[in-house]
Amino acid sequence: MSYELVQVLDGNTFVVSDKCGDIEPSLLDATGLFSFDTRFLSKWVLTVNGERLNALSTDDLQYFETRFFLVPGTGTVYIDAKLSVIRQRAVGNGFHEELTILNHDEKPVDLTVRVEADCDFADLFEVKDALAKKGSYTTRVADGRLVLGYERETYKRETWIEATAPAAIDEHGLTFAAHVEPHGEWTTDLHVITASGGLGFHLDRTKYERNAKKALPIMEHSLEKWVGDAPRLECDWAWLKTTYQRSLVDLAALRFEPVAFPGQSLPAAGLPWFMTMFGRDSIFTSLQTLPFTPELAATTLRALGQRQGTRVDDFREEEPGRILHEMRFGELTAFEERPHSPYYGSADATPLFVVLLDEYERWTGDTKLVRELEYEARAALNWIDEFGDRLGNGYISYQRRNETSGLENQSWKDSWDSISYHDGSLPGFPRATCELQGYAYDAKMRGARLARLVWRDAAFADRLEKEAAGLKRRFNRDFWIGDRGFFAVALDADGRQVDSLNSNIGHLLWSGIVDKSKARAVVSHLMGPHLFSGWGVRSLADDEGRFNPIGYHVGTVWPFDNSIIAWGLRRYGYKQEAARIAAAMFDAADFFDGRLPEAFAGYPRELTKYPVQYPTACSPQAWSTGAPLLLVRTMLGLEPIGDNLIVDPVLPVGIGHVELLDIPGRWGRVDAFGRGRVDTRKKSLRRQELGILGEYKPTKTR
Amino acid sequence: MADPTREFFAGLAAQGHTPLLQSESGTLRFDLKEGKRTQRWYVTVKKGDVAVSRKGAAADCVIHAEKALFDGIAAGKVNATAAALRDAVTMDGKVGLFLFFQRLFPGPSGEQGDDRPVAGYAKRRP
Repeated sequence: MSYELVQVLDGNTFVVSDKCGDIEPSLLDATGLFSFDTRFLSKWVLTVNGERLNALSTDDLQYFETRFFLVPGTGTVYIDAKLSVIRQRAVGNGFHEELTILNHDEKPVDLTVRVEADCDFADLFEVKDALAKKGSYTTRVADGRLVLGYERETYKRETWIEATAPAAIDEHGLTFAAHVEPHGEWTTDLHVITASGGLGFHLDRTKYERNAKKALPIMEHSLEKWVGDAPRLECDWAWLKTTYQRSLVDLAALRFEPVAFPGQSLPAAGLPWFMTMFGRDSIFTSLQTLPFTPELAATTLRALGQRQGTRVDDFREEEPGRILHEMRFGELTAFEERPHSPYYGSADATPLFVVLLDEYERWTGDTKLVRELEYEARAALNWIDEFGDRLGNGYISYQRRNETSGLENQSWKDSWDSISYHDGSLPGFPRATCELQGYAYDAKMRGARLARLVWRDAAFADRLEKEAAGLKRRFNRDFWIGDRGFFAVALDADGRQVDSLNSNIGHLLWSGIVDKSKARAVVSHLMGPHLFSGWGVRSLADDEGRFNPIGYHVGTVWPFDNSIIAWGLRRYGYKQEAARIAAAMFDAADFFDGRLPEAFAGYPRELTKYPVQYPTACSPQAWSTGAPLLLVRTMLGLEPIGDNLIVDPVLPVGIGHVELLDIPGRWGRVDAFGRGRVDTRKKSLRRQELGILGEYKPTKTR
Repeated sequence: MADPTREFFAGLAAQGHTPLLQSESGTLRFDLKEGKRTQRWYVTVKKGDVAVSRKGAAADCVIHAEKALFDGIAAGKVNATAAALRDAVTMDGKVGLFLFFQRLFPGPSGEQGDDRPVAGYAKRRP
């Protein structure tokens, strides 16, 4: 996506426009007003006396509000303009635009101000494919309003456009005759309302009509409270504070309110194209943010639990007990041309659901929710063995059943070439990737804890623990590549090891499935020169056949991945190594103004001196936003034990102190403090030495 | 003539309890249009206990659909969520209640939403 495009958003309603605030059909960039995965404006162009405008500046006031300063004339030579045009746009149930024209001249002027509007009502899935629509369009001018509409059988979507100033409205837009006195101003409010049906919404009763005169962002009032409710971070390292603040505000923007749970929000996967519920992304982000904003986890559990699979449906890849992968609301989903109603093709979301439920209880003590979701948690545990184990060999594996629109790779590395042998060739299906077995092990262990503590079912707990122990034993035998000293990334359909070195082994530490005797070797690989770039752990080691430093899952560094790895390192007592990963990530975040991207290139740190961003259309991305929060947790060594929060800090070199104040949990609110070493001989705080690593020897500190 | 809607509600009434609605309580009313007539069904849920009737009072969620379409849903041929997204099924009131309820509809094979006792659950809660 071009950097000149501007986005404003509220929930899953967002506007992507050019830097003048205009929206035009474009092949290169998907611009428009989008809501519930549908485009509600594909054209929105402002002219004054028939001329397009030129942007002087664009200010993002809040994530839901932008101000555009414009002058007439689109030439390259700046003319001393006698007019200024200001568009201030806020999103919420459509958008609201305040259009103001200032006359800087000593003479009055009469202007023709025109806004052209049109809409194709494309499904997000259609936007880039330019598919032909099957329904029909309507346009009408009535009651001082331009209504653009689309209809296919019972499916109807409309865009209502109106203005506060007198306007001549035709089927292609609104025209204003603006008279502006010397040094005076002319203004109008423009309201664009998305009138949508579907899932309990009614076209003739939009939220906008009921609640407000203006399209007010739902989240506006709560942003301050949101940031205020989260723990406060104090630190002698300025950019850690910046990164922390940025993460909190981005998380606020990523909040998504499920239809069935009004007033509650869960983290959507990313902006702007993934503003919906994803099993994997919503769970991981909830895990990362539990010590800071635990309500996200609660809503994630409720909403995913509600949509848990109950039947076998090959098109949606639904199975009893399975947790969904992705929910969508657009036309193609509504007519069952896409399976996202919801789509269940994920092999990890189901065990991770149980992991989150347990971690949530450990932090919050909310046994009520654990009781409420007992059936769902048991059904998820049941899925692991009954459906997840596709080959009957005791391991979760995946192979899509929807051959046309299903996902081939149903683990987090979901691109086509993400799972490869050492020689670069690709295994067939089903594939049993290693981290899935770790998640299954952890789900059983945590499920056992909940069964004993909350569900009062000791027999079930015993059974789960026994299964977990068996799984761990087999896993350490079948996946371990003895001569190379790490775990295979997967077993193929024949049970053969897929023998490349991947970051997935870090997730195994997090899950606790790794035998203590093997942990040291795993850590040596994670922090060694082939995986650790200096900016973090690469997704694939640089001496593997398919390695590419700018390959999506085959060499880039993922902040989300690294935060989970750091958590795993802590679990096995490798605190210095966890701090090293935190340092690398925070250093990288500084280059992105505190907003870590989805991934960056896997070049060695000493080569590039800065992290090279992987080109992506999705920023901020939820689990990248959550990564700094989880790294603050691992740095401070925060761990809930019973009703207490244990603090066991190990800070990266260069950080003198970190304080995290008012951490919410079952203990009420507590503070955590960490002190570290500051090397005063160094002029720069940036730790270039991170990049220069040879053979790595782990330093375990208990 | 086969009437999948009737069979679906009859099956539900016979079942009497489903753990799929264990945490839910409330009344759903289904208004199913057949030409000029409207067939009406009430389902009252109390923590997993389910009662079906043709008469009732206030409902927490009212669902509207063509009877023919609902026959498809009841037989597993039409996906209820997709139908709701295209307004072939519309609802008033607590949408969440319907989203829980849709778990009971059968899949394409015609088999009803799976609520077999999983991992000892039903055993302890008859």
